[in-house]
Formats: sequence, C-alpha cells, structure tokens
Amino acid sequence: MRNRVLALVLTASVALGACVQTQQYADVQFTPPQGDYKLLVLRPDVTVGSLTTGGMVEPRADWTEQARAGIIAALKAQQAGRGGNLTIIEHRNELPGVAEQELADVERLNSVVDESIVIHKYLGDYLPTKRGKGLDWTLGEDAVRLGQKTGYDYALFLHAEDQVASTGRIALGVLGFAGCFVGFCAPNIGGATQLDYASLVDLKTGEVVWFNVVRAGSEVPGIKFGDLRTPEGAAQMVDRLLNRMKPGKAVRRAQEAR
Amino acid sequence: MCARCLEVTRRSLLLGGGAAAASLTTGVAKARVRPQDMVPLIGPGFQPTDKDEQGLWHEMQRVEEEVAGSNLVMQNPEITKYLQDLIGKVGGPAAKDFRIYLVRIPDFNAMMFPTGFAVVFSGLLLRMRNEAQLAGVIAHESGHFLRRHMIRSWRDERRKTDLFAIGAMLAGVGGGAAGVYMGDYVRLAELGTIMSLFKYSRDMEAEADAIGARNMAAAGYPPIEMANIWQQLIGEEAASASYRRKHRDRGYSLFETHPAPESRMADLRLDAAEVTVPGAAYDNGRARYLNTIAPIRQMLLDDQVKLNDPGASEYLIQTLAQDGWNGLLRFYEGEVWRLRNRRGDDVRAEQSYAAAVVYPDAPADAWRWHGISLMKAGRTAEAKAAFARYLAMKPDAPDAAWVRQMMG
Repeated sequence: MRNRVLALVLTASVALGACVQTQQYADVQFTPPQGDYKLLVLRPDVTVGSLTTGGMVEPRADWTEQARAGIIAALKAQQAGRGGNLTIIEHRNELPGVAEQELADVERLNSVVDESIVIHKYLGDYLPTKRGKGLDWTLGEDAVRLGQKTGYDYALFLHAEDQVASTGRIALGVLGFAGCFVGFCAPNIGGATQLDYASLVDLKTGEVVWFNVVRAGSEVPGIKFGDLRTPEGAAQMVDRLLNRMKPGKAVRRAQEAR
Repeated sequence: MCARCLEVTRRSLLLGGGAAAASLTTGVAKARVRPQDMVPLIGPGFQPTDKDEQGLWHEMQRVEEEVAGSNLVMQNPEITKYLQDLIGKVGGPAAKDFRIYLVRIPDFNAMMFPTGFAVVFSGLLLRMRNEAQLAGVIAHESGHFLRRHMIRSWRDERRKTDLFAIGAMLAGVGGGAAGVYMGDYVRLAELGTIMSLFKYSRDMEAEADAIGARNMAAAGYPPIEMANIWQQLIGEEAASASYRRKHRDRGYSLFETHPAPESRMADLRLDAAEVTVPGAAYDNGRARYLNTIAPIRQMLLDDQVKLNDPGASEYLIQTLAQDGWNGLLRFYEGEVWRLRNRRGDDVRAEQSYAAAVVYPDAPADAWRWHGISLMKAGRTAEAKAAFARYLAMKPDAPDAAWVRQMMG
C-alpha cells in the first residue's frame, strides 16, 4: 500500500515529458559491489497495468507475471556478470532461519525509509543536516541482524510499475492531435508510464548505500520507452536501474586524487 | 448563426449543475433495494475469469499478505475462530472461502476486500451487544463479495471516466472547431461524473445491507438487530458531537460513500420486516457473544476510554449497560469521568468506582482507585482494605511499592 503512495508521489514529482530519466544517490563511502558478494533481493514489487481511456490503471495479472519473470531473469544475468551471488525471495517465509514477521519488519522499515529518501532527496524538501553527505539513511540494527543471520552482504529492494496505453487511450490521443487543426490541441494527455526504483542496503552496517529512480514515460499515448512485458524491455529496465551504479562522493574524490 | 446562444452564463451553469446533481444523487423515484432481489452472484470457490478481475485479485494477494502479517492483527485464536465460524454461517455460498482478520483499532468499522478477506476492527466488538449484531455486520461485508461489488464498482468507474474523457475531448475539439470555450461544461461534467461514482457506491452499500439482512435471517439471527446497530451509532455520534458542543455530521452529503445512517436504519427496519418469517425462532446469541469476548472486553473498553472522546465513551457504556451493569462497565464509567476532569467529575468518578467494587467482576484497578478516593475522604481503614484487595489481585502491579507506602 505504502509503495503505491510512494509511486504516486514519484510519478507526480519527476517532471513530465516524453523521456527516460534516472537520478541516483549514494552514500559518500559507497563502492558498487564487485566480485564475490552475496545479494538478497526481497520480494520484487512488479505491477503492469493497462491505461484505460479515462486514464485509470487497470492491473493485469498475466502482464505482471510476464514482467516479473523477465525482470528476475535479467537481474540474475546481470549480477552473475559482476560475480555476485544472488537470491531472490518471493514470499516472506522463504528465507531460512528468519521468521516471517522479522522479515516483514525489515521490509516495512525499508519502505518508510525509502519514502523519507524520496521526500528529502527527490521532492526538494532538502534537509540541511544531510547536506553534502550523499545518501545518509540507515535501517539500523534490524538490517545488521538480518545480515548476521543469513550471511548476505546486501539487500536489494526493487519496485517496478509499467502502464500500457489501451487502444481507447491511443484513440483519444489521436483525437487530441486531430484537434490541433481546429485550435484545440491536446495530444499529450498522458500515455504509458514506467516507474522503477531500487534501494540497496548494506547488511553489514544497516545503511542504505544507494538509491535510484528511473522514469520512462511519455505524454503521448502509443509512444513507449520500454515495455516490461517483453524480455528485452525487462532487461533494459534492469540495465537502466542497476547497471550504472556510481561510487559515493568520497570514493570518487579519492579515485580522482590518485 | 446565433453566437450568443452558445455562451455559457453563470446562471445556466448553476441551473444545469443543480439539476445534474439533483438527478444523480436523489435517485429520482428510486425504489429501496429489496432483500428478496439480492441473490448471490457467485457460487462456492469463486475464481475470476475476466482479465480485469484477475488483475484486481492478483494485486490483492500482496495486500492480504500485508494485512495478515500486520502487527495490528490480534493473536487470539479463540476469537479468530469464532469470527471465522460466524462468517461461515452468514457468508452465503462463499461461506467457506472467506478469511477474516481482527485488528486492534478502537473504531467502529469492518471491511471486505475484493478477494474475499475481511478486516474487523476491535472497536466493532466493543459496540456489538450480541452475536446477531456482529453477524449482521459480517453478513453485510460478505454481501459485498457475494454481489461482486468491487469489480462492479471498478467497471462502473472505468466506464464513467472513459465516457468523461471522450466527452471532454470531443467537447474540446468540437468547441475548438465552433470557436466556443467549453471548459465550464467540462468542469460540470467532471463534477457529475464524480458524484455519480459516489452515488453508485451508496447503492452498493444498500445492496449489501439488503443481502446481509437476508443471510442473517437465514442463519437464525433476528434481522432487526442490524437496524439497531445504526440506532446505536447515530446515538454515539450525537453524544460525541454534543460533548464537543457541535452538531453531529448528518452524513448526508453528495460526496458520501455510504448512505446516511438514518436512511440505512429505516431501510433495514423494512428489510427486517420482510425477511422475518412469522413463527420462526430467532436467537440473538447474547450469552455466547459476551462469553467469547470476555477475555478481551477490558482491553476493548480501555482502548475506547483512552480515545479521549468522553461523549462517545459515556454513551457506549450506557448502551452496553442496558443489558445489565457490571463491575467492568462501572469502572470504565468512572474512568471516563476521571479522564474528563471537569468540575464535579472527581465525585462522579468516585461514585462509579465505589459502585464497581460491589460487583464480583470489578477489575483490580477499580479497587485501587476506590482506595485512593477513600483515602482522600479520610476513611483510612477502608482504604487500606481496598489497597490490600488491589495488591492481592495484581501482585505484580507496577505501582505496588507506592500502594504499600500509602497503606503505611
């Protein structure tokens, strides 16, 4: 539920336009995981829906399942390429040695922390105390305990939602475009919108070390910038969201100094 | 061509708006939803086959996982089983498919989700005076599922927003071609669309009430108890408002999702009369109900009293006491006064505590507060006896040391 709210806020915040936008933040000391690391992906939150003529989003079970399978396959391929050891869990009771409730607590805590990151990093409500500190948020002891119990180095939380403009929506856009010839120009009624975000938590320190948002949207129905339902679209999304992890500020400075 | 004819004046807008709103919301010549017409639209083990409904169900899986794992869900196997059995009795053909979760929220509410799981607030259990009333609420919620309200309202919303979007676009393009600004009419149509969605939602509530009354009576509960719930709710809201020196929100607004309590009560009375079979035996199951919630009744009262809504709390306690006073109700009556703390409330509270300890079921805290009031009145010996009783009932009381010191 909270994820939905967050998604809505993010959709509203990122400037409208027919384009692909990403904006990532990292802890100042962050180095992108490399080599032999163990990554836990907690319940990837994927929804694909159809955008009705009137502009409502109708969730589609079959499309969502296609997208989820595509994203998981792409994630596995990507992380294997980096040498990482990846586990994806779909339900809270699938992690050996960790109680369902315990995992739920970490997930819920993460979702409020993510919300806070979005408010203070993306929505312009900047905090003076966090100025110049990169990404300065933590899940605290709960996340550290999860790491100790399971032996994972990182936890990745992932949200992806995609809307496909229905035929009616496209027709409405065409009508709006036709209106341009009589002085009522409204082709940009809003079409497909893809919104993805991810946060990476270091399970040794409990800190949220990296956060990224991708928005690939178009105001004109019928024009798409990636389709999560296809394997290529899913791979493209995983690439956009996770493949260009930048090191934190302090690490970059140290690299430049060398 | 008469250009002025197309001009939208403020007057025509208001008139049009008024007429549109009135026809949408008053439900011109609309008959009451009758229980006998409310047949279930699904059978046992229902699974969606349409794409839109499948999508809705798919989304709900995660919602249910979240609700089931919430720390607000009360871990009380007896009461959970009791609720599950109850929905099994009044749930019609889907009786075996429902899941029901009891959450600790001191408020009058219950809700049904599209996939057939219900959430009941603990505040509901406090307010229900017998099993029939609780069964009525659960039958109403089950009615939403049996009549497929979630997918129907989703489709209604989709259809209306589609029509609005097309209409608005056509108005814009048409207006553009004719050289007229149609924006004001589009705004009006938007308002009309929104209001008709609320109206649809109220109609579904009326349907759920009707099918609820029917299923409740079929399970052997007196259906009139459902109307009584609304009478109690109206009284409670009025008492709460009058304490705050306000008038109760009459709940009749064009933007209301539920019908006004008064009209629901009136309709439910008619429903009850229709579904009651003369000569049939109806049992409100009061003893069974009170017995089941006995272990948590103190907690329910405690949560309510701490809401700092003395008007509602006092009304509730008085209502529950219509079935007989006991030590628990008297004690919490005292707590309402003590926490309100206006002039004279201390005396009222003391009287309630004194009345509470007469009953065998008086909670330990009643003895504590009774002791304190005796101590204030200088009746030391009696106070000590009351404190002794408190400590005997609650040996691990956090304030035990302080009480012992008071006892000297």
